[in-house]
This record gives sequence, structure tokens and C-alpha cells, in this order.
Amino acid sequence: MMRYGIVLILAVVWLAVSASYTVPNLVLGLIVGALVTFLVREQSGEAPKVRPFAVVSLFILFVKELLLSAWKVAKLVVSPKMNLRPGIFAYPLKVETDFEITLLANLITLTPGTLSVDVSDDRRTLFVHAIDCADIDAARRDIETGFERKIMEAFR
Amino acid sequence: MIDILQNITAGLLLLGGAAFILTATLGLVRLPDLYTRMHAASKAGTVGSCVMLIALVFVPGADGVAGRVAAGVLFFLLTAPVSAHLLAKAAYVSGVRPSASSVADELKTTSARYKAK
Amino acid sequence: MSFDALFLQICGAIALVILSLSFLIVAFRVIVGPTLPDRVLALDTMTVVAIGFIAVAAAMTGLVVYADIAIALGLVGFLATVAFSRFIIASRGNADRDVGNEEHVRK
Repeated sequence: MMRYGIVLILAVVWLAVSASYTVPNLVLGLIVGALVTFLVREQSGEAPKVRPFAVVSLFILFVKELLLSAWKVAKLVVSPKMNLRPGIFAYPLKVETDFEITLLANLITLTPGTLSVDVSDDRRTLFVHAIDCADIDAARRDIETGFERKIMEAFR
Repeated sequence: MIDILQNITAGLLLLGGAAFILTATLGLVRLPDLYTRMHAASKAGTVGSCVMLIALVFVPGADGVAGRVAAGVLFFLLTAPVSAHLLAKAAYVSGVRPSASSVADELKTTSARYKAK
Repeated sequence: MSFDALFLQICGAIALVILSLSFLIVAFRVIVGPTLPDRVLALDTMTVVAIGFIAVAAAMTGLVVYADIAIALGLVGFLATVAFSRFIIASRGNADRDVGNEEHVRK
């Protein structure tokens, strides 16, 4: 079931990239998409449950945080005296599946002052590099009440 | 009238995007270690290139470019964190440690994978 | 040429100057290093600067098909960074040889 969804998404992306919204082009996109998903058929995972509105809300939060974080980094870089306290902290994961961990790690990377570095082998801990690591507990709390909760709302 | 607004928006977006890219590269030089540099490159850099692509949507006479730009922006947003994460992990595995000004390194103290070193 | 078209051209020219400056700064980081991951990160940022150049060229000439080139370049840059990262992970046994700055590289 998930494979058909992916084929459809690939076909839509193909339409957007080739900028010719015609039926033959859509068919071509569908055929190529089916071929590609056939090639990687062994790698496909479990399909997550998706709540569309929560996903949209997650996306809006993501764009907002990304702009904010780029602004913060820019401000930090051009300030004459950089007062940095960087460090790597461990974050105990509540989300469990590979898909959710990947999504959370990617979102963390594009948000203010944090960058995910590694996941422990048992998939319970995410190691996050923070540009301002002075208050580790506050950083953990931000992730927990921000993205992790949103992800759980969107995909459970 | 629409043309005037479009031209001005496109010009301002080009300037804004270029400014973000400049801060990303400045960060690359000024920040103390690889991991902090990665913050600058992955965030300001991504936003910079996305904003510059979005500027193309407003260029007068640009038909059919909006879909392509949307696909490109989505693609940049999806790939930037992946490459940043992979490079950070590769750097840590290969032995690059955070600079001496760091206040914590819980990856070193808690992860069994790196204790042996 | 109308005022607003001229405004776009001026903005594009200023953006080109800013991007050239960025390019020099990144080149400095590529040369100085001190470690291989630093250089890879700088090369990745160089792709971003190049995407900026292409976007300005597209906006100034009005040939928006250049957007395709920018997207393709982003794709190649992503693949290059991923390949380099895998390479760094695979060759970690040789990491000691890449030591350039003792403060950053500690074993």
C-alpha cells in the first residue's frame, strides 16, 4: 500500500520538475516511479499512520524554526565577540520506529543551535550537538515538548 | 504594476539570500570547530540557497518555474540535514573532537562505542 | 530600461559581489582545513554558493531554465557529501595521518 503512495509522490515530483502537466508525462512519471520502487523493494519499511493536519502543523513549525535558526546563526556569526559554549548532550528518545527517529533527527538538525550527531546502537539515545550547551536540561525540554510531541501527534 | 512589484521582490530576495550565504561562509571561518561550523553551513546555507531559488519565481516572464523551484526547495530541505548529520558522524568516528571551549561531550562519556578509544 | 528592471539588475550585481566574497572565504577554509571533514564541509558550502551564482544568473538574464541546473547541482553536491562522509567513515584507520591541528584532533 505504501509503495503506491510513494509512486504517486514520485510522479507528482516528476511533473513539477519537468514543468509539463500533461497526461502522457504523468504516465511516464508513474512508470519510472514504479520501476524505481521495484529496484529498492527490499528496503521498504512499515508504513506509518499519518494524520494530515498534524503533518501540516509540523511542517509549518519546521519552516518557522528553520528561519529562526538561520537568523540566530547569522546574528551570532556577525557579532564581533562570539561567546560560545558548545557541547554534545545525550537525548533520551521517546519515539521508537526508524522513521520517527530519522524525522526527529532531521528536524533537530535544522532548528536553532542543535545538530544531531549520532544514535546509540539500541536506538534509545540521540546525541545532539548544541551551539549553546550551557543549560542542557532546557535544551532537552525544548525538543521533548516541541518536535517529539508533534511527531507523535502526526504519526500515531 | 505587477511587474514592478515582481522585480523589486525578486531583487530583494536575491540580496537576502546572498547575505545568508555570506553569513554561512563567515561562520565557516570564524567558528572554533567543525561541529559549530556545521551549524552555520547547514542552516544559514540552506536558507540562503532556498531564498535565492524562490527569488526566481518572482522574475517577470518566468512561466512554469514555480513547480520546479518548489521541488528544488523541498529537496534542499530534505537533504541538508541528512548530509550534515552524516558528516558530523563521520567526523566523530574519524576522531575529530569538539574544541576545547566545549562544556560537555556526553557522546564520549556515555556511548560505549567511543569509550574504547 | 524601466526603473524596476534596473533595480533587479543592481540587486543582482550586488548579490554577485557578496557571493564572490563568500566564495573566497570558503576557498580559504578548503585550503586551511585543518581536517578532511572540514574540507568536505567547505566544499559542500561551495556548492551552496554556486547555486546562488546560478540563481542570480537566471534572474538577471531572465532565463529561468537555469533553475534546473541549480537543482541538479544541489543533487550532485548532496551525493558528493554523502560519498565523502562514507569514505571518511570507511578510512578511519588512517585518521591519524590527517592530523593538522592538535587542538581539534585528539585520539
